[in-house]
Amino acid sequence: MDQSPPEGPGAAQDLAPRVYAELRRLAGAYMRRERPGQTLQATALVHEVYLRLAGAGTPWQDERHFVGIAARSMRQILVERARARGAQKRWAGLDRVSLTESLVQATAEDAMLPALDEALERLERLDPQQAKIIELRYFVGLSVDQAADALGISPATLKRRWNLARAWLFRELNEGAR
Amino acid sequence: MIPEQWQRVRDLFEAALDREPTDVATWLTTQTSDTRVRAEVLSLLEHHSRAGSFMVEPVAERMPDLLAEEEPLTPGTTVGPYTIIRELGRGGMGRVYLASDSRLGRTVALKALAPHLTRDPSHRERLRREARAAAALTHPGICTVYALEEVGDDLFIATEFVDGHTLREEIASGRRPSVEEIVETARELAAALATAHAKGITHRDLKPENVMRTSDGHVKILDFGLARIDAPAASAPPTRALATLPGVLLGTPAYMAPEQLNGQPVDARTDVFSFGVLIYEYSCGVHPFGSTTELALLALLARVLESDARPLEERCPQLPAPIAEVVARCLRKVPAERYASAGEIIDVINRSAVARAPHHSMVWWRTHQLAVICVYVIATTLAWYIKEAFVGPVSLWLFIALGIGAALGGIIRGHLLFTEQINRPRLVAEWQRTARPNIVVDLLMAAALFSDGLLMAPSRPLWALLTMALALGIALASVLMEPATTAAAFGGKR
Repeated sequence: MDQSPPEGPGAAQDLAPRVYAELRRLAGAYMRRERPGQTLQATALVHEVYLRLAGAGTPWQDERHFVGIAARSMRQILVERARARGAQKRWAGLDRVSLTESLVQATAEDAMLPALDEALERLERLDPQQAKIIELRYFVGLSVDQAADALGISPATLKRRWNLARAWLFRELNEGAR
Repeated sequence: MIPEQWQRVRDLFEAALDREPTDVATWLTTQTSDTRVRAEVLSLLEHHSRAGSFMVEPVAERMPDLLAEEEPLTPGTTVGPYTIIRELGRGGMGRVYLASDSRLGRTVALKALAPHLTRDPSHRERLRREARAAAALTHPGICTVYALEEVGDDLFIATEFVDGHTLREEIASGRRPSVEEIVETARELAAALATAHAKGITHRDLKPENVMRTSDGHVKILDFGLARIDAPAASAPPTRALATLPGVLLGTPAYMAPEQLNGQPVDARTDVFSFGVLIYEYSCGVHPFGSTTELALLALLARVLESDARPLEERCPQLPAPIAEVVARCLRKVPAERYASAGEIIDVINRSAVARAPHHSMVWWRTHQLAVICVYVIATTLAWYIKEAFVGPVSLWLFIALGIGAALGGIIRGHLLFTEQINRPRLVAEWQRTARPNIVVDLLMAAALFSDGLLMAPSRPLWALLTMALALGIALASVLMEPATTAAAFGGKR
């Protein structure tokens, strides 16, 4: 619904890798420029990538279209890095009790990411909008209002659907995977 | 579930959250007759109520380092004058690469310091200072720091590339070192530490992972003066660090002195403590305060702070008392009760009986070597007289063969004796290398001498008998006695 059809056949296809590459590059450079004590915010990063690519005259329909692509890239980058850190092995090493505990307390989040990514793919087949909400809120860190705006729905609706997506994924990770 | 059903589930789930009916199950029966939809809504509502902090905060905020992680440098990349060859590993300070220095054509280990260490200007300045101090250290037992390179915003430390294995690997292999190896390792480590301490530089992170055994058998300490660069800088309380960075900080505190764990000032005596833990673990394969696995770490740290280590002589009874005493004194809780610096440790080791009087079985090994050299001389002299008495080509060639054999065997055994005196850690390898040529030389000499005996037999049976007995003696000494004395001296079949 947020993704209106791309302008030309090549436009959207070219865009995704560029956004992805730029996000990765900027994220790596970010820590060095930051003052100590400040945390890296994914939202700020996405915004900066937008400004850079917009400045370079990249064609996309609107900011919503861009945010959709950026959110997907952000998800890919974070999941890849969690994988590179051996997340799957640690995730598989958690027993039933400590798994539920770490989900509820949101510890060992990097270990969870690859499993979450797979669960998101299943959710996406069921309801694409649900997966999009998770990407915007959880991976990019948009606020309720920002995410609602990006999807063109009311904040109240977004909040309710966010709750549904969370409950669905929580159940999936807690039980579904094994 | 078909799309219509899912839509219904979604609507009912949201309606239930809005209205919060007292009895959800009953309310649901009034809404839909589809039992599958009802069950799904109930299940999702139930999980919603239990989800706690699950995904409430964006992942990048909870784990900023996941997003801001440095991309590794790929082989072929150039950094200033260095060309990356491959990645050697990843540590708390950042990634370490094997690189070639195009200016001098040498291979270096290049540490790319993680951005979080270098972005704070005051911390950056401290890094520069420490690298400068560390670069002033030159000692065969210390990995040399070549340069601190600033390329753009990035900081790199180029050091000598040490090929070999770590003491950690040696400990983990399960093979326990001989007494000579322990004394030699302790002496070399203490000598390296003493040089640094004399210049006012402390290591602060001495552990088996930071000590390399090079291919020629000597030890080299890595990361001198640099290892704890990552530690203090506005750090979070240690418990948090332990909880959030498993594997990064864990393992390291197991070698820290109590004052270091308590955040008090550290000095050379802190290294002395770590040295004690290290030699203890190297000698008997067990950490003095217990296990180093992640789970037991907190218990271990508590013991470092409060209880005494089990005396080394109990765990490792064959170890000479002076070494166990040195280790025990290094492990005192109060810094003032330890040795003031590593220099004192060397003095003690050198003064102790262990160092000077050789190990019991080593005496036998030396005696054997010297005795065999004497026998070579006697055999050759004997062959000379036989050649004079029985003039002819046979006795002449036998004399020449024995002369060459005596020269070769004497050189090999002399070499072993010198190795034992000058470069003890290398002795086992040298012995292994020369064992086969040694036996061949001995057996050939025995054969030549036996032939001389046969030559004399018709005219001088008594002399012939003595000569042939000597020949058999040489053969037996080489085949039976030498392996026994060597095994006694070097331990086992090594």
